[in-house]
Amino acid sequence: MHTYDYSSDEALIERFKEGDELAFDLLVRRYEQKVYQLAYRLTNNPDDAADVAAEAFLRMYNSLKRFRGDAQLSTWLYRVVSNVFFDFRKRESRHQHLPLELPSDDGDEPMELPIEDESVDIVGHALHEEQKRVLMEAIQKLPDYQRVMVTLFHLEERPYEEIAQILGLPLGTIKSRLNRARNALRRLLEPYRELFEVETSPTVGQAQEASDAL
Amino acid sequence: MRCEHFRNIINEYIEGSLGDAMRDQAQAHLNRCEACQRELRFMQSIWRGLSTAPAVKPPADLHARIMTHVRANTRVRQAQQRVAFWRWAGAVAMAAGLFGMGFLAARSDGVQAAFGFGSSRPPAAEMPAPVPAGVFVVYRATEEGLRLPVLEARMNRAAAAELHYVPEAGLGKPMLVWKGTLQPSKTVEIPLRTLLQYSKERVLTLRWSVDGLDRVLYIPAGYPPAKIASVRLQAKLSDALRQLASVYQTPIEWVPNCAEPLVVLDVRDATLEDALRQLLIGTTYTLKRHGEAWRVMPQQ
Repeated sequence: MHTYDYSSDEALIERFKEGDELAFDLLVRRYEQKVYQLAYRLTNNPDDAADVAAEAFLRMYNSLKRFRGDAQLSTWLYRVVSNVFFDFRKRESRHQHLPLELPSDDGDEPMELPIEDESVDIVGHALHEEQKRVLMEAIQKLPDYQRVMVTLFHLEERPYEEIAQILGLPLGTIKSRLNRARNALRRLLEPYRELFEVETSPTVGQAQEASDAL
Repeated sequence: MRCEHFRNIINEYIEGSLGDAMRDQAQAHLNRCEACQRELRFMQSIWRGLSTAPAVKPPADLHARIMTHVRANTRVRQAQQRVAFWRWAGAVAMAAGLFGMGFLAARSDGVQAAFGFGSSRPPAAEMPAPVPAGVFVVYRATEEGLRLPVLEARMNRAAAAELHYVPEAGLGKPMLVWKGTLQPSKTVEIPLRTLLQYSKERVLTLRWSVDGLDRVLYIPAGYPPAKIASVRLQAKLSDALRQLASVYQTPIEWVPNCAEPLVVLDVRDATLEDALRQLLIGTTYTLKRHGEAWRVMPQQ
């Protein structure tokens, strides 16, 4: 009589390799939220995100038998989602001829901000929401590869080493390309500078020292 | 340090990954350059905004959508593998001087029992007349506690009938499972256990012929049935029905009328009945409950 161990990824993968479909179902349940979140952040559309997630798990089903466990399953899944996303965008661009280049500066006019004598909290909240909206829009305008990198590092908070594994590139390349992506994002956000400069509260990393020194 | 240099290392500065010497230089520059202070605030604000992106809430039917997509596409793959197997099996049978059922019957006793020509089961106990005519799917509990499908066939007149299993999701060469003559007021039972054990398909495609008229039965291999599911598909009617039989683990009987339309379905949290009704809109088919199965038949 077998006792089935469904606790770890490794155990589930082993069970699946032996033909246990329930193990696959459990793996999907374990990772579907993560996978969907990344897919949503890349596609910015709930339907597209669900399609990308479903296709990613189909690819997992088809290749899990060959999974050797060199990387974490989550890392491997991030890689699959990224690849599905690239394919998805290629297909999309064939159909719709979307501009994949950075848009020129004569795009949207920056929004007029209602900084009047209203309650500080409300304005602060509205600013914050507006900032998020503008940021997410700017990410969507990045070229696909930069979008994936920025999303993995800043939104999904994956370390450089893992991103290098996900995209199959050397660490140095990841760091330099990420900087290029950040600078591209900064250029896209230039028209909204005011929106980002008003807030001066918490700081990141060494910047604390910088503001102390000012 | 000049502004240009500072702008080049601004991300490392924010991240805190600069070496001590470089950081001190950057600090010194910042202390006297207001433009770079502004730029730093701008860039920090972007970093901060990115790291506080709201969590994403997945749709309620995400799991169902994923599993439907995986099942639908792996079935196609399995069907293709099966085609490859039968080509191989056919070649082996030819080489060995065997063909068709002889080869299959030689494989195992179980298979022989299921596929032997004309091995009609003795009719079950007398049924009070009149009885509804046709072929019905019923589930019987076994000693091991499994619930397995059994076909019950009855007619109100004498008629010659045949049951074929069509492998490879209905694409393969039909194999005779049962052949015999139906008598008025007698029920013939055809157990499907051996066939289910033999076939690795998730849904068996069977063809039931009486007096040369065909109907198609899709019998799922698993149990118990799913009550509610989300399905998105675009397929030929027969493929769509097989897919639904698999998702809902419920037998579906199809009475073809020559027309096999292309159908589109996109339902969320729907019952099989709802899904089937949606599917048949605009076709020349209608839906009826038929014992444990659903029957899709031509409109009168």
